[in-house]
Amino acid sequence: MNSNIFAIVDATFKDNLEQLTLHRMPGALPFAGKYRLIDFTLSNMRNSQITNVAIFPYGNYRSLQDHIGSGKKWDLDRRRDGLFILPPKNLYISPDEMITFQRMYEHIEFFKRSSQDYAIITSANIVWNIDFQDCLEEHLKNKADITEIMYKNIRLKTFLISKKLLIEYILVYDTQEYRTMLDLVERAPNLKIHIYKHQNYTRTITDTFNYLKSNLDMLKFDIGMKIFPPDRPIISKEKTAPPTKYLKNAIIENSMVSSGSIVDGTVINSVIARDVIIKKGATIKNSFIMSNCVIEEGSILNYVILDKQTIVKKNTHIEGVLNNPYVTQKEQIVSSFENLKVLLVASESYPFIKTGGLADVIGSLSRNLTKQGIDSTVILPLYKKIRETFFESLKYQFSRTIIYDKEKYKVRIYRYQYRKVKYYFIDSFDFFETENVYGYKNDPDRFAFFNKAVVDLLDDFESFDIVHCNDWHTSLIPILIDNSPHKGLKTLLTIHNIDYQGIGKNDIIKKLGITDFVLKDDNINFLEIGINRASKLSTVSPTYKDELKYEYYGKNLTYSLLNREREFYGILNGISSSFNPLTDKAIKTNYSSDNIELKLENKLYLQKKMSLKVDKDMFVIGMVTRIVEQKGFDLILNSFDELLENKNIQFILLGAGDKKYIQELEKLQERHKDQIKLNIGYDATNPNYIYSGADIFLMPSRFEPCGLGQMIALRYGTLPLVRRTGGLNDTVFKYDPITKKGNGFTFNNYDANEMKNTIQNAYNLFCENKEDWNKLIHRAMRSDNSLARSTQKYIEFYNVIIKN
Amino acid sequence: MKKPVVAMVLVGGRGSRLENITKSTAKPAVNFGGKYRLIDFVLSNLSNSGISTIGLITQYEPYELLSYVEHGSTWDLDVNQGGISLLTPYTSMDGELWQKGTAHAINQHFRFIDLYNPDYVLILPGDHIYKMNYNTMINHHIQSNSDITIATFKVNDNPSRYGILEMDDQSKIISFEEKPDNPKSNLASMGIYVFNKKVLKALLGESIEDNFDFGQDIIPLGLKHKLNVYGYKFSGYFRDVGTVRSLYEANMDLLDKPHLLKIQDYKDFPIFTKSVNLPPHHIIKSDKIYNSMISDGCLIYGQIIHSILSSGVIIKDNSVIIDSIIHPNVKIGANCHIEKAIIIEGSVILENTILKFTEVTVVDNEFLWKLGDVHE
Repeated sequence: MNSNIFAIVDATFKDNLEQLTLHRMPGALPFAGKYRLIDFTLSNMRNSQITNVAIFPYGNYRSLQDHIGSGKKWDLDRRRDGLFILPPKNLYISPDEMITFQRMYEHIEFFKRSSQDYAIITSANIVWNIDFQDCLEEHLKNKADITEIMYKNIRLKTFLISKKLLIEYILVYDTQEYRTMLDLVERAPNLKIHIYKHQNYTRTITDTFNYLKSNLDMLKFDIGMKIFPPDRPIISKEKTAPPTKYLKNAIIENSMVSSGSIVDGTVINSVIARDVIIKKGATIKNSFIMSNCVIEEGSILNYVILDKQTIVKKNTHIEGVLNNPYVTQKEQIVSSFENLKVLLVASESYPFIKTGGLADVIGSLSRNLTKQGIDSTVILPLYKKIRETFFESLKYQFSRTIIYDKEKYKVRIYRYQYRKVKYYFIDSFDFFETENVYGYKNDPDRFAFFNKAVVDLLDDFESFDIVHCNDWHTSLIPILIDNSPHKGLKTLLTIHNIDYQGIGKNDIIKKLGITDFVLKDDNINFLEIGINRASKLSTVSPTYKDELKYEYYGKNLTYSLLNREREFYGILNGISSSFNPLTDKAIKTNYSSDNIELKLENKLYLQKKMSLKVDKDMFVIGMVTRIVEQKGFDLILNSFDELLENKNIQFILLGAGDKKYIQELEKLQERHKDQIKLNIGYDATNPNYIYSGADIFLMPSRFEPCGLGQMIALRYGTLPLVRRTGGLNDTVFKYDPITKKGNGFTFNNYDANEMKNTIQNAYNLFCENKEDWNKLIHRAMRSDNSLARSTQKYIEFYNVIIKN
Repeated sequence: MKKPVVAMVLVGGRGSRLENITKSTAKPAVNFGGKYRLIDFVLSNLSNSGISTIGLITQYEPYELLSYVEHGSTWDLDVNQGGISLLTPYTSMDGELWQKGTAHAINQHFRFIDLYNPDYVLILPGDHIYKMNYNTMINHHIQSNSDITIATFKVNDNPSRYGILEMDDQSKIISFEEKPDNPKSNLASMGIYVFNKKVLKALLGESIEDNFDFGQDIIPLGLKHKLNVYGYKFSGYFRDVGTVRSLYEANMDLLDKPHLLKIQDYKDFPIFTKSVNLPPHHIIKSDKIYNSMISDGCLIYGQIIHSILSSGVIIKDNSVIIDSIIHPNVKIGANCHIEKAIIIEGSVILENTILKFTEVTVVDNEFLWKLGDVHE
């Protein structure tokens, strides 16, 4: 008998699967050799006799559509009911925690038309084998309004609700405070929530670690039997490949190998998909190899995910770790990259010169690249400040003449070696002999000249495999390379902040001697030219990358970026291991995640330093930031009067910036003298006092490409409370009161009230549930935002660029 | 609704020399190469040739075959007009219609051919192993202005098993003898024919009660009437696996001579087969997997040497499989030694069983029971 349930398959959620989901949705990810993730959900539907299924995708759902077709394989190709793919009205809708009522409202007809009385809402990235009829039985027996289906302590974003009730919530999506089923279960009063605990092996695939892990789990005999029982089969699209062929040299230990593959090498504890060729002498361990890959002679792979059609060249050694596997990109060619040579070009780099986060990124990336075996070189302009501080250590190399605007300019090249990183400085009296780094009328000319000099100097260096440019100051390098004998040299442009684009007069093009460029108007936009001409693009977090598809974030460059969407990546920055509360000499008492009670002493010390009431029960909100509009000061100024009526809340801020906001903040301080302490100016106090001493680290940014403050706070166990945007969304995961998971607090909209309520909720947890609070601190301190991790991502990405 | 070509596939044969392999199924349903059945080849060839109006004439033990073919969706043959029609023996006003031979079978279902009023009728046996684009043959037929075209292949040993023909320089057939004692050439008929529909109808109409078989009767009749009968030389891999030995050898060709059928190289000319919905096979521990093919759903603890395993086979610890073909869902217990055997679908081999043969031997449950009796 057909089920009285219809199904909503949520494929709109956000994931951390990096390049694996660049061109496909998580539901379309290959799994266990011959399946796609969505096969589990659809087969469960079929095995539960569910005949009416709607899939809500976002973005590029071609590969999902290709895979499921009419749904015939799952008996969903029918006259009555069947399978429906309901696309978003706005194709570039950004992924969310889970499907929203608003998204459902776009297709309200589907809900109204469905003849079944109950709806199951589930997602396309769960590996499991479940009978939804059992869930319905329990739901009815318990007379529940909503049944949430969980596995152990893991939330699966799977809910059972009556059609009638669901439609009620969908229809008022724009007036209620509940956006998703998660909100309803967590916050809605007067609803009877039942929890159905599914007993068998279940995993949701959200990042590369659990993607690899769950694939390898299938090699455990008992788990495999639970996921693939003969009476409840998992069904997939048929392929026509012949059986796997093993040749003379095959050695296999505990592995699954799919049809069409030809194995002549060693495979240990791995899952191999269809049509993979493993040649003699190749060794694969603990890895998941997708279809049509070729692994050539003598290669060694360990903890690797090879996306489809990857070719691993002879004698290549790729090593990842389980919680951070090495991931290739579709159609990539991987070969030994020991000798990869990278040139980093930027306007600033720590320790030589720093005005913002860019310098930290370049400094740390260059050092960590060499640590991981990459030959890295950095070129910077020799600003007056660098000369003054470092002149004695700089070694003069040679001089060159650079032609700019038909004039000859002499530049001198200096070199400095720090460990194995080579830094070169371009000294030009005419362009860089300034007090400050930026802020001059001729900035466009200064940096255009810098770009020209870098490209001319390429002749003097050993050849590089890739030139990594950063922000508008180096954005003309790709087009200059195209107009030089080095044409074909690969370039990567990383956008650290889209707000700075570099607008100059269009005669700069002529001054540079560029011929293949069509002038459109009086001005040129450096960043735009870079976006159009670089081999690949990246920005500093996956979420910011997605946000840049909207004009709200991407501004005038939205369409240039959309044009290059397939070449655009988000790679999260990391922070140095020197941020460590156990070894930080600046803080009062050192501590680690093993003894977080010692953190309290830092709080009391901070309160004392700030001349605020010293009391462990006070709730201390800390901020270390530039004081500018972007950072969310409008929200603070509009809600803190109300918030601080609670005399148990203290607010400590360190920062410098916009006078307008500083004045307003000072007025706020005046009104709440004994609760607020402002430290204006970058050196006003040691930021680590706040990172170690506050309870909450506040970052209500309007936008935040990556953000470093929240990562430092996490490492110091100070729980970040952030708006879900950019890098904040990629590093801070909201506290879930049901599973006690997460590492901080988040809110969605740029809205003072929402922020205030979130702070209020955090305060309540702080007061009422110390146990959960401490668990959160534990989890926060264990978050991995290391530089090593982000550097590895860059290396993977360099290889993608070079080998394609 | 007119179609240019209708294909008639003969799948009623018992294949009696295949011993117990065809005890309860028709020959076209016999397993091959780990995941195929013989009929996959002819249906995939049709699908790859874009011919989708097909009559499938059954007779002997049809159930397994019919449930395997279903609507033909496996081969993309479930099209709106035409597709696969299953033609079974039936009773009519004229009495019970039991096929007495290949030509007799076609004649019984001629009304099906008339339904589509084709120019050409393609007659195909359903149990051969080969990859062929029939369009090339049909074009050859059209260009040589032929009435009948017979596909031929070069036979190397024992030509007396086949219909042997002689051709002139223009590929026109001079003589044709079915299973001659003294073959005049080594050019044999593949049993694949293209007929102009009118010619076929006329030939079948001549006293069908005496003319049951294409090779024995209809082709000689055509030659006698001086019709244009041409040969079409097929140069690819072709096997008519009539005996256990030839079936075994064709299987082993996949391991030892993969360049012949090129089954691994399936992108351009796929051989479709029905999916079994099983996860990939899992090799849990194995000292040795050597020159073998293994299908989905197998669980393997033992050694596999120069063998072919079909889907869902379980091989337990310390068992050794050598030079053998294991059909689907066979369970082999621990410490067994299997050598040069074809193990039939669903057989259960208890632990410590030694089956070492010097000649290929078909093993099924019946065989195993008898073996058990001996042991007792």
